[in-house]
Amino acid sequence: MLDVHGLRKVYEGSGRRTEAVRDLTFSVEAGELVCLVGPSGCGKTTLLKCVGGLLAPTAGEVRLAGRRVEGPPPGMAFVFQEYGRSLFPWMRVGQNVELPLKQKKLGRERRRELVADALESVGLADAAGAYPWQLSGGMQQRVAIARALAYEPEVLLMDEPFAAVDAQTRADLEDLVRRLWRERGITILFVTHDIDEAVYLGERVIVLSASPTVVQEQLKVDLPAERDQVHTRVSPRFAELRTRVYEQIQAAKRGGAGKAVQ
Amino acid sequence: MRRLLLRLFFALALPAVLVAVWWAASAGSTNVYWPPLRTILGTFPDVWTADRLRTDVGPSVLRLAAGYATAAVVGVALGTVIGSYRRVRAVCEPVLEFLRAVPPPVLVPVIMLFAGIGDTMKIAVIASGCVWPVLLNTVEGVRAVDPVLAQTARSYGITGPARLREVVLRSASPQIFAGLRQALSIGIILMVISEMFAASNGLGFTIVQFQRGFAIPDMWTGILLLGLLGFLLSVLFRLVERRVLGWYHGLREAGRRSP
Repeated sequence: MLDVHGLRKVYEGSGRRTEAVRDLTFSVEAGELVCLVGPSGCGKTTLLKCVGGLLAPTAGEVRLAGRRVEGPPPGMAFVFQEYGRSLFPWMRVGQNVELPLKQKKLGRERRRELVADALESVGLADAAGAYPWQLSGGMQQRVAIARALAYEPEVLLMDEPFAAVDAQTRADLEDLVRRLWRERGITILFVTHDIDEAVYLGERVIVLSASPTVVQEQLKVDLPAERDQVHTRVSPRFAELRTRVYEQIQAAKRGGAGKAVQ
Repeated sequence: MRRLLLRLFFALALPAVLVAVWWAASAGSTNVYWPPLRTILGTFPDVWTADRLRTDVGPSVLRLAAGYATAAVVGVALGTVIGSYRRVRAVCEPVLEFLRAVPPPVLVPVIMLFAGIGDTMKIAVIASGCVWPVLLNTVEGVRAVDPVLAQTARSYGITGPARLREVVLRSASPQIFAGLRQALSIGIILMVISEMFAASNGLGFTIVQFQRGFAIPDMWTGILLLGLLGFLLSVLFRLVERRVLGWYHGLREAGRRSP
């Protein structure tokens, strides 16, 4: 579904070259939920923006369903970390969700259906008439997720979407993402710096190295599909996986690749 | 109801006191130039008859409206272009700062040379003064569009006219309104000034006529009427602003409650 091949991104600024991403190759199958995790400042956001067509890569390419991504493709929806700055404060919740659909030239009936359905599935069916700033942080991020759902993307890109909400809200939102993924069979690429979150959510975790970024390791999360905050997080397999990811990230910070002890 | 009365009281208290002081202080005045307020108010209905409102106030307000609207449209349009492109901004900014620094009344004789002495000249004078605050504030507003918001719009394919209409202009609207508010007071000043040169009707013209004819109380009534007009326009402006920028005030209120 999504293929990233030899991706490289170098920022050219006032006499200084910063290589944010060196050489990244990975792919995401249709209907998969993949988490990208890496040490902070490792170019995760840069990577995701390249994938989403918001930044042009210096080298390499991103392909969505075989088509090369050269600008934001209609088949991708983005959920940003800064929910407060990604919703339009002059529009009500319903209008926020509807605006991209108008741009897609969908009919009024169809738009109304999609908006109602998306808000319903994030649990905000009765908030359509509110302004985003009247809602709590967690609810605002739900609106952003609803907007992405209504857009009916082939791939949903999420850039540390829960980094700015409190722990309890975060747990709820994680379960929401799992549920939506299972119900709707969408493909999700989820970026986070939180190891537990990556293991809890993902079917597969891609560990990134420190900047300049390469893929440190990929591992399959063989936890049962039915997960919940209480039991999954204390299961022995969860602990093993998170230890493994943790070690890889520590190794990545030291700059070595694959030196972790098993 | 009680709160409304209280607010009304606060709003009216100071004007009432000022009028009372004026009334008392001028009561026994024999100075020709400072007639008692009683005389001025007595003259008011005689001077500002329905007929005069139509022949003098009407044209003034229409010219103000035309000049102001022109300035708003031109200011927002140019400001959006300049604010959107860094290159254009670099070229235009020094010139804009210079033009803005020129006091608009100075332009009256110049504009008269090109636009004659009719309505066109007056509208041009008003527009040329009002355009600067609108233009410069629009530039700032358009520049300040949040990068995350801009990326969100881009990633959802909101581009071109829709981006301008739904994102850029809405996001800049608080600044645009700040400019429009400044422009309104400049516009009223220029409305009067433009009528003091080579005019045959209008509020400014009438006030100058009264002054030249030593009809001093009549002149004072004109000044009072101007004040009232300015007040009325600012109330009207605030009503529109509250409607258009309701989201902005709510957002700021929400930000203050939970920073």
